[in-house]
Amino acid sequence: MTLEIQNLHVRTEEREILHGVDLVVKRGETHALMGPNGSGKSTLANALMGNPNYEVTEGRVLLNGEDITEADPDERARAGLFMAFQYPATIPGVSVANFMRMAVNARREEPIKVKEFGELLKRNMDLLRIDRDFTSRYLNEGFSGGEKKRAEILQLAMLQPELAVLDETDSGLDIDALRIVAGGVNAMREPGRGFLIITHYTRVLQYVRPDFVHIMLDGRIVREGGRELADELEEKGYEWVREEVAA
Amino acid sequence: MPPEFVEDRRKAALEVFERERLPRWRRSGFWTTDVRKLRLDELEPRRYEPLEELPEIVREHLGEEEHAGLLVQRGASVVYTHVSDDRIVLTSLEQALEEHLELVEPHFAKRLPYDEGKFQAATAALWTGGAFVHVPKGTRVEKPIQIVWLIDEPGTAQYAHTLAVVGELGECKLREYCLAPDFEGQALHAGAFELYAQPGAQVDLAHYQDWGGGEVHDVSTKRVEIRRDARVKWVPVHLGGHLTKQRLDIVTAERGSDMRHTGLYFTEREEHLDLFTTDKHEKGHTTGDTVWKGALTGESRSSYEGLIHIVPGAQETHTYLQTHSMLLSPKAKSDAIPSLIVQTDNVSASHGGTVGELDEDQIFYMMTRGVSRSEAVRVLVEGYFEEVVQRLEDPGLEELVRRRIAEKLRGAEEQVKEFIGERS
Repeated sequence: MTLEIQNLHVRTEEREILHGVDLVVKRGETHALMGPNGSGKSTLANALMGNPNYEVTEGRVLLNGEDITEADPDERARAGLFMAFQYPATIPGVSVANFMRMAVNARREEPIKVKEFGELLKRNMDLLRIDRDFTSRYLNEGFSGGEKKRAEILQLAMLQPELAVLDETDSGLDIDALRIVAGGVNAMREPGRGFLIITHYTRVLQYVRPDFVHIMLDGRIVREGGRELADELEEKGYEWVREEVAA
Repeated sequence: MPPEFVEDRRKAALEVFERERLPRWRRSGFWTTDVRKLRLDELEPRRYEPLEELPEIVREHLGEEEHAGLLVQRGASVVYTHVSDDRIVLTSLEQALEEHLELVEPHFAKRLPYDEGKFQAATAALWTGGAFVHVPKGTRVEKPIQIVWLIDEPGTAQYAHTLAVVGELGECKLREYCLAPDFEGQALHAGAFELYAQPGAQVDLAHYQDWGGGEVHDVSTKRVEIRRDARVKWVPVHLGGHLTKQRLDIVTAERGSDMRHTGLYFTEREEHLDLFTTDKHEKGHTTGDTVWKGALTGESRSSYEGLIHIVPGAQETHTYLQTHSMLLSPKAKSDAIPSLIVQTDNVSASHGGTVGELDEDQIFYMMTRGVSRSEAVRVLVEGYFEEVVQRLEDPGLEELVRRRIAEKLRGAEEQVKEFIGERS
């Protein structure tokens, strides 16, 4: 699975936020997209999933060579694209277990067998150290920030997408929760799967080591490199990037 | 001969009925409920012979569940009665006045004045058949007591009166179903329902209304009185009716009484639903909890007005009221009006109301999990109602309600899709 983002321009009702973004994520690769608040990272994630609040005005998104720029979010999901939300929606009246089953079945011809689903859910909950009673709660209703993030990663583990975008999954997590979540992501890294990890901080990248790092500023990718770029950023901060770009 | 107090009430009510015009209720804002299109003169209280077997529509709704007793009134006649728990009384109200006068008289119409309006007067004057339920002191009845009001022909006027008395420390489940198949033409159900929960009684009450696609007008008053340390859980469910104008009142009448009132409605096509509920606390140290949820499709209209009324001296009352309605079509309109009259201090009472639409963020979220838009809408609406449906605590009835909501959503799929699509 290859995700290609070509010259992507994205706007909201008010203004253009992305001014031509190019990025390629190939199978087996883990990319980190870093940038200060308001640089357009989450906009890119939402545009990739087809959020109707974001309009692509120029450029395109290809998944395995196929243009998905105009595809509905559910088609993208069924094609293997996944996003872990920074602020996932609350779904009242729908339990975590029922929601998971619905999502799993959306990608299958035949519905998953009850027993098989139960085992899969248990295995992934153990991986993320999630309590059993979690599954009967309504999705994200009354969840703490950490619980919401774990529920997102639990979905990632259940759905086994080919390409996963993690939007600020590390924000608001304490160090123990971060380790567990990062452990879950690492357990899913494999030659067939790509990751795009969006983050403000370098902290998570100590646990999930990226192959490539991209730095976004004001709606453009301004620096690219290997994981050493993250270390440099950690040392010098975003102001350094801003000055470099201005120079 | 029926007892004098019943006949006197009929005569007095008939005068009111004949004097009053067909009403039109107006409220500030866009709301008007108008029954002047009802051709009352063309309707008649149709009489029917007793039935050996239950009509299919009744069987469909009641399912296989065993009951403590079942009474069916079709049009103006009680056509079927079956009591399997002989500790209770379940008969037509007419028969109860002959055979159980001592049980009926102390409660009959105690909280149902005949002069509250034209239709209330009509019911008081013209009721026939009727239902009487009595659960004796200290008796715990596990299986539900079921009453069915059936209108299966256009041109029918049904004047309905139910009186239910649950004795001290008695416990029961009481279910009323208002049913009609789809037909062409007008009909009227003018209903009066009264329940008296005696001290320490526990009553699990549900009303299920689905008058089908015909022009059934339902103008009814339902009142529940809860005495000392008694508790009533009441779940009215409105799933169909051309025009419904109802008043649903719960009175916590003595210390320690507790009410939990949870309602649900789904309107479609050009249905018109006008509900006014009151949660009245006549004594202190009482508790209440009211939650109503509705959804609308088509060009339907709903108005829910919920009043909490705490009378002077009713201190230490704790109650709250919440109402929500969800618009699923651009042409539907809804009003939610929670209100509060508190005439004493040292109480806690809160209320809130919302009218909203489906949340596009929720739909997007679900779609990113591979769920289609229409499936997402269905799941969100069902999830929205789930809190209320679960309060029925009756698997058979819950299933029926879920099934009907799913059917209505399927019927409205195209317009909902268009509506949501328009906005995104």
